[in-house]
Amino acid sequence: MNPVLPPATAPLDAARLPLADRVSDVTAGPARLLLCPAPVRDVVSFRGSLWAGVDLSGDDDVALALAVDLLDKGTRHRDRFEVAEALEGRGAQLHFYADNLRLGFAGRALTEDLPDVLALLAEQLREPALDADEFEKERRQAVASVRRAKDSTAGRATGALTRRLYAPAHPNYVPEPDAELERLAALTVERVRAFHAAHVAPTRLTIAFAGDLDGARVTAAVEANLGDWAPHDRAARFDTTATPTAPGRTDVEIADRLNLDVRMGHPVALRRDSPDFVAAHAGLFALGGNFSSRLMQTVRDEQGLTYGIGSALHNVSVEHDGHALVYASLSQDRLEEGLAATRAVIERFVQVGVNEEELERVRTTLAGTHAVALATTSGLAARLLVNAERGFDIGYLDHYPEMVRALTVDEVNRAVRTHLRPDELHVAVAGTLPAAPSGGA
Amino acid sequence: MPDTAAPPSPAHPAFTFVKSAGGIEEYRLERNGLAVLLLPESAAPVVAFQVTYRVGSRNEGAGLTGATHLLEHLMFKGTERFNKRLGTSVFNVLQAVGAQVNATTYYDRTNYFALLPSEHLGLAVEVEADRMRGALVSDEDLASERTVVLNELDRGENEPLRRLVHAVYATAYFAHPYGHPVIGWRSDVETVTAGGLRHFYDTYYWPKNATLSVAGHFDRADALALIDEHFGGIAAGPEGDAAAEPLVAPETVTREPEQSGERRVVVRQAGQLGTVLLAYKAPPGLDADADALDVLATLLGHGKSSRLYRRLTDRGLATGASAFFPRLRDPGLFMAYATLAPDADADEVERELRATLRAVAEEGVGEGELARARRQVVAEEAFGRDGPYAVVAQLNESIAVGDWTLYPDYRARIEAVTAADVQAAARRVFDDDRLTVGHYVPVLPDDPTAAGSLPTDAPEGDA
Repeated sequence: MNPVLPPATAPLDAARLPLADRVSDVTAGPARLLLCPAPVRDVVSFRGSLWAGVDLSGDDDVALALAVDLLDKGTRHRDRFEVAEALEGRGAQLHFYADNLRLGFAGRALTEDLPDVLALLAEQLREPALDADEFEKERRQAVASVRRAKDSTAGRATGALTRRLYAPAHPNYVPEPDAELERLAALTVERVRAFHAAHVAPTRLTIAFAGDLDGARVTAAVEANLGDWAPHDRAARFDTTATPTAPGRTDVEIADRLNLDVRMGHPVALRRDSPDFVAAHAGLFALGGNFSSRLMQTVRDEQGLTYGIGSALHNVSVEHDGHALVYASLSQDRLEEGLAATRAVIERFVQVGVNEEELERVRTTLAGTHAVALATTSGLAARLLVNAERGFDIGYLDHYPEMVRALTVDEVNRAVRTHLRPDELHVAVAGTLPAAPSGGA
Repeated sequence: MPDTAAPPSPAHPAFTFVKSAGGIEEYRLERNGLAVLLLPESAAPVVAFQVTYRVGSRNEGAGLTGATHLLEHLMFKGTERFNKRLGTSVFNVLQAVGAQVNATTYYDRTNYFALLPSEHLGLAVEVEADRMRGALVSDEDLASERTVVLNELDRGENEPLRRLVHAVYATAYFAHPYGHPVIGWRSDVETVTAGGLRHFYDTYYWPKNATLSVAGHFDRADALALIDEHFGGIAAGPEGDAAAEPLVAPETVTREPEQSGERRVVVRQAGQLGTVLLAYKAPPGLDADADALDVLATLLGHGKSSRLYRRLTDRGLATGASAFFPRLRDPGLFMAYATLAPDADADEVERELRATLRAVAEEGVGEGELARARRQVVAEEAFGRDGPYAVVAQLNESIAVGDWTLYPDYRARIEAVTAADVQAAARRVFDDDRLTVGHYVPVLPDDPTAAGSLPTDAPEGDA
């Protein structure tokens, strides 16, 4: 029998307990730890974040992104290859990410290696080398990545839509590629070092662990490595609400791209903790959440106009608003036809609303998807962390299926009529546009 | 290696226990030979159910390229029982119980899967049994789905790296069907008929050509009873049905002639930064060298301690460099590639890629890097058990290569790979006479020659 496989007869009780009873919520030095045992053998996934206290009216987001890129390029004690070998020699993974407001990290390790990986994580966060040569290399990589992103129809359409809806200091704003290149060119290693010293600290540091873990051992390892790390008290500065232009359309021409990506959207006056968030989320899911949704059933399945189309509430958080988003990919010869068909489905959906049968499917799907997301250690760690970042208690994850099942047709349709307004939709299209538009969008 | 323990019992009288390995049990449904793999796990109360058909683009001839994939799409369009007109389409009924549902097509296989709350396993079994022989594959459904697939094809063609990989495969394979993209050549997707797809369906969609996999939280005897109830009545194969007579024996696939000289291909497309790809002819996925080649790919291209990262990415020649060896049923390709950094010279990057690979063949590998690579592969395997979908997805690839025990035995096989094995495999594979080199050369968008300038040596230029 393979040693990593749990016996088929192991008790199911642990996995069936409510998360509120299963997860230990403990403090280790400056960190909040969420420890969730899960019935797998030998492996642990973890995910954590800290509040970076950024000022988005300046260049803090670029400095944060470069600082994050440099965290795995060496520390004061090990060069970049020694860092990589320490992880890869254990088959462990660890990566860092920036989400504008937070610095995050995610990883996984065999249980026996977790203390070593946590020690390395602490060393990378607290004592990165931030070497000048490595900074130049990472900046070149970032420039290459922005240049490559110029060819992405999806990325360009998404960016163009955000620039219609938000000002640069909003976390959802995506700069023009050329503006991003200018910001990268102006960045210095001294700026990144200063940013790291002032902003990378265990403020609101939360780490969720899930898997085959010994809670006391994990807590001790975090204490030992992060116990004496002091938080900062910097307030973040950013726009919390959208500032849209008048509704209209932006076309981004990219040569040799016969599939065009379309993004439609308008801001929504919603936060993740708004009373009608879940109803609005369910409404947008009925419109375009999966294959059974109106957009997929009509524009793809019946009309054959697209491979992929959908809708969602995009980047709505507890800290700032976001937008209602409809996305589609359309071939060049079907662009205007596809845009018109998409609009027609949205308009009819808002007029007629969901019916009970449709909503029942959505309720079951959202509850089922939630259960499935919690079936892996990485899924558990991710859900626990984002839930904590929102300031929700762990029980929210247990109660979410009940909240979804309790939604009524009236609640969902009211939320849809409030938060989805076809006349206010902005449109962004990226790809090789037809030579002469055959009709208005 | 097979487990020595006796099979768990009681199982089910309609099934014969075949073997077990790594906790996975294989059964055969006696009435039609359907293979069933069970991996009961005590994880969260969800289960993954999968049907793998041993048919892929490998089985497609001229005029039918992309048929496997297009048929996979039409399998969601319905049967008499589950269809949109009745409000019981496959997506509707399965997503209504919270299932994640999809299907994929690759060179050697097509798989349909659902990940769903355990109490609904029966529904997933019923749907898959029904569409194994009951798919309508109608002209009307093909008409609307064809344009969906053409849009999918356009999406893929937007990506220079995908065009490059297609061009390299088409150049490396003159005769074997691996030479055409899984999604098919555009004109075949545009013209294939529903009758052609139905013939394809009637040739390959039978129990004797399929393996079911069930992983997650379920009761073994209940699952076998469900499978017997829904699949037990289906004939093993199309024997005696003249309409399903294949044009060639289903197991017959054109053999690729020996490659005896380096081949080169260039893909030009508007864009910013180029890519260089090396592809060497490599053995089948079950060959004795295949495990060593997996370790070699990891050691060359996975992670920031890898050889390609050090030699290309860290030195600023590339923004990324990696190596991969898709294990296929017939002889495949071992590939290494680098995406060019701004101002990097494609020829220099090609020289560095080739030198990095040649060094392994000539000088061998160190014990430290070998141990790291083995450890990475072993950890991948452990994490591959994280959730029932991950398990069936990996089983799917082992079934496609021709032996599902490749998956449970993988850890032991990888741990047995020595430095001498890796060097010997590198020597056999890194032969310049069996190499195909591909360059993606970006044409800057403001270059007036960009429009309509795709050269004729790009095998799928469609501008």
